[in-house]
Amino acid sequence: MAGIGFELRKLLDRQSLWGLVRAYVYAGVISSGPWVLSIVGVMGIGLLSVGRVPDLEVRQFLVTVTYLMAASLIGTGGLQLMFTRFIADCAYRHEEPRILPNLMGALTVTAVGAGALAVPLVFLLAGSLAVRLLTVTALVVLSASWIAVVLLSSLRDYRGVVGSFLVGYAISVAGALSLRPLGTAGLLGGFLAGQIVLLLAMVSLVARRFPTDRLVAFDFLDRRRAYVSLALTGLLYNLGIWIDKLIFWFTPSTSEVVLGPLRASVIYDIPIFLAYLSIVPGMAVFLVRVETTFAVEYEAFFAAVRQGQPLAEIRRRRDRLTLAVKQGISEIFKVQGITVLVLLLAAPRLLEAVGISRLYLQLFSVDLAGVAMQVLMLAVFNVLFYLDERRATLALSATFCALNAALTIATQHAGPPFYGYGFALSTAITSLAGLLVASRKLDRLETDTFMRAR
Amino acid sequence: MSAADGLPRLEAGQSADVGLLLEGTYPFVSGGVSAWVHELIAGFPELSFGVCFLGATPEMYGGLKYRLPDNVVHVEVHHLMAGEGWARLPRRRARRGTPRAGTFEGLHEAMRTRSAPAPAVVDALAALDEPGGLSLHDFLHDDATFEALCEEYDARHAGESFLDFFWTARTMHLPLFKLAAIARALPRFRIVHAVSTGYAGALGALVRRRTDARFVLTEHGIYTKERAIDLAHAGWIQGSALRRLWIQFFEALGRMAYDAADPIVSLYEGNRLRQIADGAPPQRTRIIANGIDLERFAAGRREPSQGPPPVAGLIGRVVPIKDIKTFVRAMQEVVAVMPEAQGWIVGPEDEDARYAEECRALVRTLGLGDAVRFLGYRPAEQVLPKLGVAVLTSISEALPLFVLEAFAAGVPVVSSDVGCCRELIEGRPDEEGDPAGSAGAVTGIAAPEETARAILRLLRDGEAWSQARRIGRVRVHGLYGRERMLDGYREVYGTALKEAHGGHRLRAS
Repeated sequence: MAGIGFELRKLLDRQSLWGLVRAYVYAGVISSGPWVLSIVGVMGIGLLSVGRVPDLEVRQFLVTVTYLMAASLIGTGGLQLMFTRFIADCAYRHEEPRILPNLMGALTVTAVGAGALAVPLVFLLAGSLAVRLLTVTALVVLSASWIAVVLLSSLRDYRGVVGSFLVGYAISVAGALSLRPLGTAGLLGGFLAGQIVLLLAMVSLVARRFPTDRLVAFDFLDRRRAYVSLALTGLLYNLGIWIDKLIFWFTPSTSEVVLGPLRASVIYDIPIFLAYLSIVPGMAVFLVRVETTFAVEYEAFFAAVRQGQPLAEIRRRRDRLTLAVKQGISEIFKVQGITVLVLLLAAPRLLEAVGISRLYLQLFSVDLAGVAMQVLMLAVFNVLFYLDERRATLALSATFCALNAALTIATQHAGPPFYGYGFALSTAITSLAGLLVASRKLDRLETDTFMRAR
Repeated sequence: MSAADGLPRLEAGQSADVGLLLEGTYPFVSGGVSAWVHELIAGFPELSFGVCFLGATPEMYGGLKYRLPDNVVHVEVHHLMAGEGWARLPRRRARRGTPRAGTFEGLHEAMRTRSAPAPAVVDALAALDEPGGLSLHDFLHDDATFEALCEEYDARHAGESFLDFFWTARTMHLPLFKLAAIARALPRFRIVHAVSTGYAGALGALVRRRTDARFVLTEHGIYTKERAIDLAHAGWIQGSALRRLWIQFFEALGRMAYDAADPIVSLYEGNRLRQIADGAPPQRTRIIANGIDLERFAAGRREPSQGPPPVAGLIGRVVPIKDIKTFVRAMQEVVAVMPEAQGWIVGPEDEDARYAEECRALVRTLGLGDAVRFLGYRPAEQVLPKLGVAVLTSISEALPLFVLEAFAAGVPVVSSDVGCCRELIEGRPDEEGDPAGSAGAVTGIAAPEETARAILRLLRDGEAWSQARRIGRVRVHGLYGRERMLDGYREVYGTALKEAHGGHRLRAS
């Protein structure tokens, strides 16, 4: 579906400020919508329950959902990336009938995997049986949802994703609020109901777009189509994103027990989840750039090769592609940089407005820089995925994961003023390293296109 | 020694007298050259022969087309254009410190300057993919190769399709890696005998450079000329610049063979002069005409009193070089005058299936379904007695055996003016024992009307027919018998074997 890039280009081609604003707002909504909706939705449930439900139970709900997010994202990280590649290849080869049965296959694999994990968890977790059963069920549903999300995203159906999230989280919030009297279990139950609707909505979108007569297929695990390195990359990338949080949660001096084995780090968690809301502008720029200039220049380069253009033209196309990457990266840098500056200046009043202690200001500021770098890192990874640099992305995600773990532990030893620097530094270093790799790869793009042809 | 495929193989350390280097012919493709090779092997039962067959891709060839004589002790089969071994090459890092750039520069220089590749160039080619030489991996994946390619492109091909240039360069150089490997693994032969230039001749030059084997070269047609005709028909080569590159490449391989071979044998004077023009040293050239087994064809000869059967036959592979379509068009004119006349096309159609289908389509279009028949391969001695006139419409030939066989079987020949066909039909007045007079008719190339007129004259004029077949028979007996040809090669092999035994002991030890 070329739709999204086409729509964005149409808006941009109007050459008016209004068109430009609409393009970026649109891109912001579709690129960050799910992200913002889930943070706002879950926090909203929490805020609206304060006073109606005992504080501890609200916290138990929030921490449980956070763990569910972390576990499902890390657990499916490998499959997400592998499946994204599989779907992209299917679309490229016009093998659309394969899509739905393989989604069913991937969901089956995910459900079986998450389910196998869920059985022992029922016994390991704390809380009432209802809470524990709801938790493990949500783990299965959330894990499956991520697979559906990456499928729709790699088919560029961002609007379908955002729409499903809107409906799903509306039901989650409404459900949780109406079941408030039941405490933690009620909040979880309502949340789960919305998540189930979200999953079904996305699957039905796929089913409607790609009807097929096969029920289930596992082609995405086929040796000839599957890329093990991508699975490892996805796992390490997602683990890298969460590892600093995990370290803070499980270090006794920075965390506390919330519900049995589930611990939370109040000091670390609140600033970073707030900071994540700031990435909307950067994500919007990223999407616009990837979907318009970069995608067009990328296609044009390979078209020039395939159509037998002269070498000079191929090199000119390579230069234009390089320029598109440079411009995209610098634009993300600028836009997100301005966003961070504005938020830094406004931070004291902002924290006051949401009723958060000024003690968090320092960490919030560092986290703003950290998540800005994470957007950059995402953009760089995306360029490298386009260039099919699987070995480089694997090395980079491993570097990121290791750096984030090591530097986070180091900052814990250095003391509270240094909290957050581990995350910010590791994203910054990884982005920089990724940029160097991408630049080198772009420099030798025509060489590799011909001499590494598979 | 027998391998799994049933072909005889020499084991390591064993050797044979003559190693025949054959490109796309014996024993897997039937035709004039293959028949000649078969005769040659059978003519020297006292020598042991090895056959090194060089083909393009495996699916182009079927099984053996000849029963191998007992003195063939070794057959090895290679396919130079087959992709196996390249696609799945491990992407290991290149060996550092190997001389990379420049390996092919000498060859390219020779291509441009129309000179023979220097000995150092041949050495570099022989060392391909060997420690110290350019590795196949480096050629396929190393940056230096790409840079050299880009330099060449920018210098001489800027503006052309780079994709086509790149694949042309790859396709052109890759077989050289295989040739080098074949040369290294080849059993020891006292003589290597290439029966064309091109890849076979280049292989001979590599073997000559690496071992103490003597190198004999025989050319039936002129390889570079035939490749040029093939290339003109090849749809996969885009643009004349790349076609010219291919021709230069084959010419350079040809000069490499001429530079290393002694003697350089051709079938007749015209081709000898052409070889000299293409770079063969005149003092090493010599002519040994084809010869055939006269007895084989004398048996079925018709009585002259019966007159000519109304059949014009073309014996040859159904490929563009034989210009079958001109024969079909000529038959249209013949049938218009002589409705009972028949045209037979006798030869295998599997080599260029598309061309064969085009020919059949032409027959249908011209409404000749009853008059023109495709008979497939048939032994010449069975077909010839049934022909009134033998026809050859080729655009390139050397000394076609088919003409000699027709003479021996008492069939006049109408042939296009290619190779030494005029010499065969109209005679060589300077040669002793040659009867004056025409054994048929010589026509222009791609001249259906002229061909038709000549066919009609011979089929309808009994007097002219009898006269022509008598002259043909006398001429073939006088000049083109098999013994005469074998005597020539007896001398060539004898000299080479003596040299292989004598002067080169030092190199062998």
